[in-house]
Amino acid sequence: MIKIYFLLFYEFMKIGLFAIGGGYASLPFLFYIQQKYQWFGIDELTNMIAVSNITPGPIGINMATYTGYTTAGIIGSFIATGAIVFIPFFISILMVKLINKYKNCSFIAGIFLGLRPAACALLASIGLKLLYKSVVPFSSNYKSLILFIVLFIPFLYFKKNPLLIIVFGALGGIIINRF
Amino acid sequence: MKKISLFEIFKIFFIIGIQLLGGGYVIVPLLKKYIVEERNWMSEEELIDYYAMSQCIPGIIAGNISICTGYRLRGFMGAVAAITGIIAPSFIAIIVLANILSSVVNFKPVKDAFFGIRISVIILVLVTIKDIWQKSVNSIFTYIMFFLILAVLLFLPVSPAIVIVFSALISLIFYKIKGVKND
Repeated sequence: MIKIYFLLFYEFMKIGLFAIGGGYASLPFLFYIQQKYQWFGIDELTNMIAVSNITPGPIGINMATYTGYTTAGIIGSFIATGAIVFIPFFISILMVKLINKYKNCSFIAGIFLGLRPAACALLASIGLKLLYKSVVPFSSNYKSLILFIVLFIPFLYFKKNPLLIIVFGALGGIIINRF
Repeated sequence: MKKISLFEIFKIFFIIGIQLLGGGYVIVPLLKKYIVEERNWMSEEELIDYYAMSQCIPGIIAGNISICTGYRLRGFMGAVAAITGIIAPSFIAIIVLANILSSVVNFKPVKDAFFGIRISVIILVLVTIKDIWQKSVNSIFTYIMFFLILAVLLFLPVSPAIVIVFSALISLIFYKIKGVKND
């Protein structure tokens, strides 16, 4: 158990340090952890992502708490959440102290020029893998494919509202599994 | 000026945490309302500076901006109060939900609902990819970065941390070379 606590801290500290670009940036890291340690299944992970989306609070924090909890109970959730803010905590304080020196962080803007496409590619690889796993015919059941196509319609209209997409998904799942 | 109490900081960030739904940037108008307008604890310019800064350092944006604001208000302990305040509501909500879910997850309707929700998550991920793509992939350099990294990721199990460090280095080199040309 101590080893799991240590690994949890290490992996989530890495997320805090390297996940750049909004709440979904930690997704590729979570899938990496899933593959490496098998603490939870892929389906379980997608469920956790969905729940984190519709719970108040920053999505990144929600996902850390949830995955930590699933892996090692309440202590696990404390460790994962603490670890994800650990390094940013000190960097943020340092930045406030130095703010007047580095007000226009132009070389940081330079780094971000390539970091954002990289973050996008990381997420795209996860998106493609998930698509392949659950939507592509023959690799999964046809119900997922139908649901995916049907859900794309509300997505076109309510694209800024994750809650609605998730509610529609839940309803769609219940309805389609009746047949 | 009277010293702001740590509990007061914790309380305000807790209240903001409850209202945070969706992306991290939602926190900016909330901080503006509670800290700048209602209490006058700092200026709007400072808030905007912290927001800009929070985006160019590692970590969750809403977390970073809370730490900066907390530090500005009451030093190190203020930062601790702010970050624990912003985390607490999501922490409690997730633990409660996780317990409820684990006790109902084997009922058929719940299972079926999650079958559909998993498809929703794929769509959400695709929407996010599209958003980041539109904002950031718009030049030869960024196109190359995107497709090169995607190609590598689809065939090799590379750690995301390595991808980020690698692309930060490449970007810095590219930026330096371009900067020299401009001079």
